[in-house]
This record gives sequence, structure tokens and C-alpha cells, in this order.
Amino acid sequence: MTARAIGADPAPMARAGGRWTWSEAWRRNAPGYLFLLPWFIGFFGLTLGPILTSLYLSFTDFDLLTPPRLNNAANYIRIFTADPKFVQSMKVTIFFVLFSVPLKLAFALAVALLLNRGMRGLPVYRAIFYLPSLLGASVAIAVLWRQLFARDGMVNHVLGLVGIEGPAWISDPRYSLWTLVVLSIWQFGSPMIIFLAGLRQIPQDMYEAASLDGASRWRQFWKITLPLLTPVVFFNAIIQTIEGFKSFTPAFIISGGTGNPINSTLFYTLYLYQEAFSFFRMGYASALAWILLAIVALFTAFSFLTSRFWVHYDS
Amino acid sequence: MTAEAASAPPLDLAASPAQRWRKRVFGVLAHIVLIGASIVMLYPLLWMLSSSFRPENEIFTATSLWPSSFSLDAYFRGWSGLRVPFSTFFLNSLLISVLSIAGNLITCSLAAFAFSRLEFWGKNFWFAMMLGTLMLPYQVTLIPQYVLFHNLNWVNTYLPLVVPKFLAADAFFIFLMVQFFRGIPKELDEAAQMDGCSPWRIYWKVLLPLSMPVLATAAIFTFIWTWDDFFGPLIYLSDIRTYTVQLGLRTFTDSTAQSDWGGLFAMSILTLLPVFVFFLFFQRLLIEGIATTGMKR
Amino acid sequence: MDFRLNRRHFLMGSSALAAAGALSPAFAQDKRLRLLFWGGQARADRTYGVTDLYTKANGVAFDGEFMAFQDYWPKLGTQVAGGNAPDVIQMDYRYIVEYATRNAIAPLDEFVGKELQLDDFDKDQLDGGKVDGKLYGISLGANSVAMMVNTAAMTEAGVAIDRNTSYEDMAALAEKFNAGTKRAGMRLLADGSGSEPALENWLRQRGKALYTADGKAAFDEKDMSEWFQLWADLRKANVCVAPEDQALDANDSIENTMVILGKAATTYANSNQLIAFQKVAKDPLDMANFPRAKAGAGGGHYRKPSMFFSVGATSQAKSEAAKFINFFITDPDATKILGVERGIPCKSSTRDVIAPTLDAQSQVALNFVSNLGDLLGALPPSPPANAGEVSQALRTKSQEVAFGQQSPADAGPAFVQQATDILARAKKS
Repeated sequence: MTARAIGADPAPMARAGGRWTWSEAWRRNAPGYLFLLPWFIGFFGLTLGPILTSLYLSFTDFDLLTPPRLNNAANYIRIFTADPKFVQSMKVTIFFVLFSVPLKLAFALAVALLLNRGMRGLPVYRAIFYLPSLLGASVAIAVLWRQLFARDGMVNHVLGLVGIEGPAWISDPRYSLWTLVVLSIWQFGSPMIIFLAGLRQIPQDMYEAASLDGASRWRQFWKITLPLLTPVVFFNAIIQTIEGFKSFTPAFIISGGTGNPINSTLFYTLYLYQEAFSFFRMGYASALAWILLAIVALFTAFSFLTSRFWVHYDS
Repeated sequence: MTAEAASAPPLDLAASPAQRWRKRVFGVLAHIVLIGASIVMLYPLLWMLSSSFRPENEIFTATSLWPSSFSLDAYFRGWSGLRVPFSTFFLNSLLISVLSIAGNLITCSLAAFAFSRLEFWGKNFWFAMMLGTLMLPYQVTLIPQYVLFHNLNWVNTYLPLVVPKFLAADAFFIFLMVQFFRGIPKELDEAAQMDGCSPWRIYWKVLLPLSMPVLATAAIFTFIWTWDDFFGPLIYLSDIRTYTVQLGLRTFTDSTAQSDWGGLFAMSILTLLPVFVFFLFFQRLLIEGIATTGMKR
Repeated sequence: MDFRLNRRHFLMGSSALAAAGALSPAFAQDKRLRLLFWGGQARADRTYGVTDLYTKANGVAFDGEFMAFQDYWPKLGTQVAGGNAPDVIQMDYRYIVEYATRNAIAPLDEFVGKELQLDDFDKDQLDGGKVDGKLYGISLGANSVAMMVNTAAMTEAGVAIDRNTSYEDMAALAEKFNAGTKRAGMRLLADGSGSEPALENWLRQRGKALYTADGKAAFDEKDMSEWFQLWADLRKANVCVAPEDQALDANDSIENTMVILGKAATTYANSNQLIAFQKVAKDPLDMANFPRAKAGAGGGHYRKPSMFFSVGATSQAKSEAAKFINFFITDPDATKILGVERGIPCKSSTRDVIAPTLDAQSQVALNFVSNLGDLLGALPPSPPANAGEVSQALRTKSQEVAFGQQSPADAGPAFVQQATDILARAKKS
């Protein structure tokens, strides 16, 4: 293996007159493919088949109990022309993502920065802030949330202490979605941990050098921390957005699977779940899923393309 | 590797007393903010903890955090109330989680190394495919995958839950590690190459040791996600003796009859403990910084 | 660095995998039946008590699985789709038509008279399990709709409802209740505008119904507008709870019903749930019938099969499954264990056997259904496919009216349109 093999561009083979041998191709590409072997097996063996099947199902009527029947894209037509619940669920989901993701990331970054300064009790604080995320999406949490945000729940109790009479957050269609946004933000521990790991990866000597040069804390943050953190910010932004679009369990449990009151908590995936498992319209649900996939893929592709303008890789 | 205890930017000892005093004040303020935030973060959990000690019909009607009477009844009920003791569920979940961690750490880091450090034909295409698997909601591939696993006779075993981890099915972690590997300077790779290292040795001896934070992160997340995973076990496990902790918890609630909320909360608290301990243990690995030593070498 | 652990990990992992693989029980040889049912721990205890008896008597082992109602259907659907359906399946009145017409459950006619002894089985309950004239499910118990009443709260306020109370009486009763009650924020009624059983009961009393025999809506726009208007009036007069409170009840647990939350003195439920309700309630509860539509109207209630046992179409042990079902509903020891938790037993011989062994509240449940008198009407046809979706649409529409987003006059036609569309969609597939 030549010293250039790792960073090598496969193109040189073409440049060298267009002739190449199998053994050369093997040598250049084998490492990559060998490292990816487990993933390939998983992808082709376990994932690709079901994914293609679901694509096929999206063009059928499939009620789980009888074999699927093709229906000429009737599902897609209905989704785009005659489905008010689709529109509603899109609205709910986009609203949720738009508000919960930036706020969650902001909290995560702020607290990570605060914790990264180093202080007494750092591990304790870190654990405390991560604790809510540990519970994940569990029944217990959903029940808790219903209690806290009920009309006579703790949140209104506290608001009452400062003289504000709060509404019935969780069962009022104007506010119920906000309780889910708050629940998502409450679990900012996950992106926080990732930010912390990213912060830890920034070499200390950069800060030392900057301090010696007289740079203030603020300048250090803007010129060193933030740029070097951009790969992690990028990662967290993409992941949290994708997860936001796929968010299911909190809405499922808090609304009892209904998306109520008045479909104000009808997340897209909740609607999908209803179609698939409550109403036995698996074909329609598959079509819904592929539309979601298309939207998220577009968003991700756009993010990747624009990332070159602001994400800083150390190479 | 420097044994970094806590600090990030070091205290500048050349600062004036005024500057140091300001730093102190800022430090105290930070603590106050953090403590306040901690209370807000923890309040729901404290409520759950206190509910687990309360009698059944007080849980939803009491307003204060402190229970009027303490009883461990909910814990006993939850632990042995089902036909199978809860300890079985704990062990099952533990088994699945540990296997999943091993699978993820190994295969996802292998894949991430390929994507971030190696060149090969079709790399960007496969990367896009990998990301694509992240975006599909699981309800969709659920039925086709169930049929697939049924044909393999893997239903009612742990195989559908664990084998995908050994096949790098969690694109989240591949993506995470890719981003982290890209932050490690390529000069280190090249230096190793000069010394005649094969890609495998670079992966094993150079990149992995420097990736402790991200590996620890991946381990923590894997543990928690498999511990909290509900839908997978629901669909694939039938025998109650193979149930995981989350399935066990679900048996406490039912819409057509009385639910055992006290038991649910008690067992939820208990199921939190291993995850919490695991997190505490692994978060030490998050502390250790990396590239400084690498550069000096 | 402790990376050598990785290899050890792997070895441990693969041997553990092999062990996990071995965990899949060997089904084929010994006689085993797979049983799937929904319910909580209480029901599971009783059910497994019976399966243990059967195993002792017949040597057949059971692989039983139970879960919450809302998780049951995805699981069952997945198993059926995967060709892996259980032998004995607990089935609901709402879904039996779907599963039967899709051949996911097996017709049981061939077992009647042999493995299934149904001579003294109530005819209406037997018919309830028939689809297209063939028997697909054996009813495990009859129940009917009933209101759960907080007797303590009622007595304190000096108010009482009886079998003749109608919606028209409610305004006056509520006034008395609101004046006399010491419980802050408690109203007399829960908001039943989104409750499909309440609507059905009211429609039947007016000579209408929810669905026709061929799966169409049997109500019209005038009916629906009147229904929504009835509740709008009750809401305005503070007879029923506020919309934000009713919205807490997502029909997913008893704990979230108005009577348990202390927001109303009554709530809409089923007659076999009295015991479950009482377990979580602080006050003593009683059961009452749903209010009359107006003085003298009746025929709203009916004896519903609360749930069935069906046999999976792909089961390799159909005759054994039928034998077990018969044991479940006939054997004296078995039925004593089961009590009336799943409803009133449908065989008169069984009722005679268990009646003396029931506790006080179970007696109340037993007698409630038999004492309905003129409140009782004929059993309606089983709901069409997508009835569940219509029920959901009703709940959402009622919330829209309650929160003031749509007037009852508009909501009536809108809902009828929605229901018609939903039911029409079912026809296509």
C-alpha cells in the first residue's frame, strides 16, 4: 500500500491513461469496502428489502389481514388533494420542529458551555441535566406531564404564586402543543452531552495561546470554540430536526393516541400510526411515510450543501 | 493523555484582583443559575419518586411533594406482582443492552472510519444511503421487517433486536462518529502512514484511542435507547419470561381496567437506576481530552 | 487502553446470542396453545388461573400474552400479517367483522354441539358473534353501558338520579347539585357529546341507531345538530364539565375519567367496570343507567358481548382451542375464578353456579343488566369497518363544538358528512 492510499482520490487511475487493473482497483477500494462490510450486510440483508417493500406498499391498499392490492397511486393523490388531517398533522409537526429544535439546541449549548468551564460538582450537574433524557419517552413521563400541566397542576400552582391564572395547558387546544414543545426542550440532555464531548475535543493549547495573546473570553468563544464546534452543531441540528419530525411517543401517550384536543397534537407520525394500526390502512400509511422521508431528505440535502459555508472541519 | 479533572480555559494567574473577583462572582452566579435550573429539571422526577411511596388513590390528587404516608407497597407490588419477578426483566434488558453496545461500538466505528478516512468508489452515494435509513419512521419498515424476521424464524428471540446492532444499523452513531473523526487532524493518520501502518492499525491504534468521548457517548446512548425501547420488544417478544423492562412497565397500565400507577412509578424509578449508574460510570470517559497530546507527539 | 476487552466482548456476545437463540421455546412437539388477550394484571391473574386448571386437567400447556388494549391491535395485526397468529384470540365487537371477513379468524360452526356445548347460551349473545350467518366468536360475557355515580357526592348535595331521569331533568338537578355540593369544581355530568356509546343510546331511544345493517350511518344531520345543541345547552347551564376538563379524558384509562378526577359526579362507562372504577375511587360508587332522552323513552341500552374468544384461522390446533373455550365458559371452577370481570356469563348454568360466590359489587353488576327492563332494546348489528374512525371523528367534532370553534347547527351536517366519507372508504377495501 503506497503512502498515498488513504487520502487518495480514485480519479488518479483515470488520469493515468484510463487503464487500470483489477488488483489496483482492489487495493484502492478494498479497505473502504472491508470496513463497511458489516454495514453492507445489514443494509442489504435487513434494511433495503423492507424499505423497498414499504415503497411498494405505498402504492397499494393493504389492511394487514389480506394481501396488498395495487391502487395506482390513489394514496398519494388522496394525500395531496383530499386529506385535511394530513395538512393538520404537517402544520403541527412543522410548528413543533420549528420551535423545539432551536430552543433545545440553545439550552444544550448554553449549559454545555457553562459546565465546560469546570467547577465543583460538574459531574453532578451534568448528570442532573441529563436525567430527564434518561427517561426517554415513557408512560410515566407522559402521565407526569399531564399532571403538571393540568388546570390544577403544579405549573399553574407556581404561576398562581405570582398572580397569574394559567389555563388548562394540556387539554386546551391553544396550548397543548406547547406542553409537548416544553417536554422536548426539557430533554435537552442528549444534545448537551454531545456538545460537551465536542467541547472536550478542542485542544487546550489553543486557548492557552489565545490567552497569552490577550484575547478575551468572549473573543475566544467566537474565534475558537464556535468555529471548532460547528461540526457538532451541524450534527445536532440535523439529528434533532430529523428526530423532531419523527417524534411520536410523547404525543401518543399524552393524547392517548388521539392527537386531541381537536387534533392539536396530531403529530405526523401519530397520524401515520393511526392509519397503519388503528384503521388498518397500511398502504396509505406507507405513502405518508415516504412523503415524510422525502421532506426530511430534502431538508438534509439542503443542509449538507449549505454546510460548506459555515461548518469547519479540521483538515 | 492528561488527567483533566475539570477545568477548560485555565485561570490566568496574571489577572488583576479585580478580574479575579469578577471571575468569582460569575462563578457564584453560574452556580445559582445551575441550581435553579436543576430544581426545574428535577421536579417532575421528584414528583414521580414521591408518588411511588404514596397510597394508590392519592397519587393524582395530592398537591405537595411530600407524601402523607410512606409505604414501600408499590415497590413490592411492582416487583413481584406480575407472574414473573421484575428482576427477570432487568436481566433481559441488561443482556440486550450490553450486546447492543458491543455491536454498535464495533461496527459503527468501523463504518464511520471508512466514511471519514478512506476513499473508495461510490463513497458519497453510500453515505447518502446510510443517512437515508435514518429518516424513515420505524412504523413503516416494521411490518416488512417483521415478515422478514418471521421467515428467518427469529421472532420471539432477541435476534431481531440485537443482530442489527452488529450490522451497524444505527445510522445515528455512524453519523455521529463521522463528525467526530473529521475533527481529528488528518496529520496523525499521515504520520502513522509514514511509519508504515495499514488502515486497520490506524483505526485501531490512532483514531480509536483519541475517540473516547464519542465512544463513551455512543455507549451511553445505546444503553439508554435499548433500555427504553418499547416497540421493538412489543412486536418481537411473546413469552413474558423474555420481556424487557419497558414491556414489563406497560403491563401496569390498561385502558379497560384499573392501572397500577404506584407500581408503574415505583418500577420506573427502579428502571432509571441502572441507566443512571451506567451514565455516571461512562461520563468519566467524557472528561478526557484528546488532541493536545496527539499534536505534541 | 483496554481494547482487548473488545474481542472478549465479542466472544461473550456471540455465545450469548446463541443462548438467546436457544431461548425460543420449542413449540412443535408437545401440545401448546397460544393465547392472546388484552387487560391488566387483574384480568391476567384470573385468566392464567383458568389456564392452569386446564393444563392440570388436560395436559395442554399455554403460552399466554397480554397487554393494554391500545397495544393489542398493532401486535395482533402484525402477527396476523406475519402469518404468526395465536390459537386463541380475544376479540372485540368492533373488530370481529373485519377479522372474520378477512379470514383471519376461523368459523366455529363445526365445533358447535361437540367441543362447544352452547345449549343454554343466550341467543342474543350467540348472534353477536356471528358474521354473515357463521359463528366466529364466543361471547365471554355480556355487559351494557352504565353510568358510574359517586354516591357520596350525590348524597352530600342532596341530589339523586333514578332510572327515570332524563336529559330534560338534568338542568334542574344540576342547579340543586351546584348549590348543595361542597366539592369545589364538581359538576353533575361529564360531557358526553363526544362519547359514541352515549350518542348511540340517545339515538336508539328516539327510534334511530348508529349504523344500519349494511354499514351506513343511521342518523341524519338533524339528529346530530340536536345532539350537539343538547350538550351546548347543558354546558351553558353548568350541568356538565368544562371542555378543558373533558379533554383530559382521552379514553385511555379509568384514572382520567371525570368521576375519578373529581370533576363530575357521574361518568359514562360499561357495567363490568364497576369493580375497576371502585378500586381507584376514593368515594363509594354505584351504577345507574344512561339518562333517558325524554320522559318515558326507552330501549337505548342493549346487552353487548363485552368480548369474544376467537380461533386463529392458521391455528394448527383448532379443535383443542374450541375445547379450551368451552372449558373457559362452562367449567364451574374456571368460571368461579373469572367471576364477572369480563361481563355477565352468557350461559344460564354458569350464572347459577357463580351467583352465590360473587361479592357485593359483582352482584350489583350482575343485577344491573338483568334489571334494565324497558330501558333494554334489541342488539344492533355489529359495527361496520371504520366504526372506530367514526367514533374518533365524533370525539374531535364534539371538542370543536365545545371549544366554540363550530356551532351545533353547522357541526351536525359536518359530522354526518365526515361519517359518510369514512364509512364509504371502508367499502372500497
